[in-house]
Amino acid sequence: MIFFYPKLVDSYFLHLTIATFLAMILASSWDILARTGQVSVGQAGLFGIGAYTSALLYQWIHLHPILGILAGAIVAVIAAVGIGYLTLRLRGIYFSITTIAFAEALAVIWLMIPDITGGAMGVSTPPLFGGNRELAYYLVLAILVLVIFVVWLIEKSRLNFAFTAIRENEDVANVMGINPTRYKVLAFMISAFFTGLAGGFYSHYNTYIIPYEVFSLNVSIACLVMPIFGGLYTILGPIIGTILIKAIEEYLRVTFSYGHQIAYGLILVVVVLFMPDGLIGLWKKRILPLFSKKEIGEG
Amino acid sequence: MDWASLLQSLANGILIAGLYAAVTLGLTLVLGVMGIVNFAHGELIMLGAYSSFWLFALLGIDPLLSLAMSGVILFFIGMGIYQFTIRRIMKDPPLNQLLLTLGISIFFQNLAMILWKTDSRTIMTAYSGMSLDLGIIHFGLTRLITFLISVVLTVLLVIFLSKTKPGRAMRAVSENNTASWLIGINVERTYLLAFGVAAALAGAAGALVSTVMYTFPMVGFKLSLKAFCILVIGGLGNIPGTLFGSLILGITESFVGTYVPEGSGWAEGISFILLIVILIIKPTGLAGTRRE
Repeated sequence: MIFFYPKLVDSYFLHLTIATFLAMILASSWDILARTGQVSVGQAGLFGIGAYTSALLYQWIHLHPILGILAGAIVAVIAAVGIGYLTLRLRGIYFSITTIAFAEALAVIWLMIPDITGGAMGVSTPPLFGGNRELAYYLVLAILVLVIFVVWLIEKSRLNFAFTAIRENEDVANVMGINPTRYKVLAFMISAFFTGLAGGFYSHYNTYIIPYEVFSLNVSIACLVMPIFGGLYTILGPIIGTILIKAIEEYLRVTFSYGHQIAYGLILVVVVLFMPDGLIGLWKKRILPLFSKKEIGEG
Repeated sequence: MDWASLLQSLANGILIAGLYAAVTLGLTLVLGVMGIVNFAHGELIMLGAYSSFWLFALLGIDPLLSLAMSGVILFFIGMGIYQFTIRRIMKDPPLNQLLLTLGISIFFQNLAMILWKTDSRTIMTAYSGMSLDLGIIHFGLTRLITFLISVVLTVLLVIFLSKTKPGRAMRAVSENNTASWLIGINVERTYLLAFGVAAALAGAAGALVSTVMYTFPMVGFKLSLKAFCILVIGGLGNIPGTLFGSLILGITESFVGTYVPEGSGWAEGISFILLIVILIIKPTGLAGTRRE
């Protein structure tokens, strides 16, 4: 059904679906890093790097968008390695502070060198696949399937033990022979790769990017609210969280002209205070037991 | 090199450093006493700036007088935030504390956009344009006053922490909260008060901000990036380090503004570059502390 989907819905709904899939990629890749206990508040930096690399490569040498998107992901990984090696050997807070400053600094740099970056006016590219939304749908679906597959691989492999050990207690992990910095950098690289892919896809799909948008705090916050709402360290959590957040966002966008992201703030506060494992946790802890009790009562 | 312009930009840097110190002190206090990096600190400053702006626009109260009012308003807002949210996660892993304060920050940013739109607002007082000439260099009067008030705020905080009973309790808790509890200090109440005092400092700093910068919903976010940078330069969570970090950032920004072409536009990026430089050469902060 997911394969024939574009034939079944109208163009606007297809667009919404593509945007939601793109957000799912961002949410899942943030969650990969979170598995090591690190909070990136600057995914917009990596997203923007992916978007700009791809768009600028098209503008300069007419590089095919698919190759451009890949190139964007690779540049994002390089940036992640740089930041990762500097900050991930320190306490987590250094990483969070540096990532938030990183995205903001990129926005400044982009505005200051307009000859290279297009400045505040941004960069335009021709529509992806000549504006064929169906093909765009299959491309974003392919990236989404890939990221979910990678998360599944991580869960099945020894990486999962290393990530979890580091998250639970870094000193103990170190004693167990796990090099925390190396694994954290690896997680950040995987996360950056998919965030970069998403950025590249966005620039071509949207045909137009400006620094204020791709490097904005809103992007970074969206990347973390969706998986946290759905439930961290799971495959399904980021997916469910994204669907609900996108639905809330579409509704609020109509209601408020400014500040509809107030919902992000509220959700973060409520989740941290009252449902630490997100919707998935709530389901497992509160809803499932209700049904199992009933069955016992009836039987 | 032109000595007058060198001295002038050094002086400007020191003046702005005073404001940065006022902006960062509350963050330092909460980190030092409670062990939390408060991502919502910038938004407390933003609320302080708006309360000062509205007191001026509606009641015509001079921002330098309404400073105390902003401080009091934010003291209560801060204690409310602590009571209803942060108190519950004091024993949680740092990840939760980060996400909670980040959530509060996003909430207030967007609330401000909904209530007051994204317009940039300024306060023009009778003395806004005045300046003071000292031979070869001269100071904007407003900047000079904000600097002096920042110095007063810092001195008051230091006196509070060293001479008063609740202040000493905060220092004890920052050293060791279990031992403090054992000798009969009410740790919870100390946290509450520390967060309230930090918010009051943010309120006062916000009032200062409203006189020398634009007031808009994201002003707190922009300032908190500078404050984070200062925190890292100074080594997390100590007052001398904060003052030192503020001087480094203020003077660097001022020199870049003077000597680099289009330098003032780069000023925003300087805190990030400084942050990276510090992380490369001495990640424990230039002032060097016990915290890693």
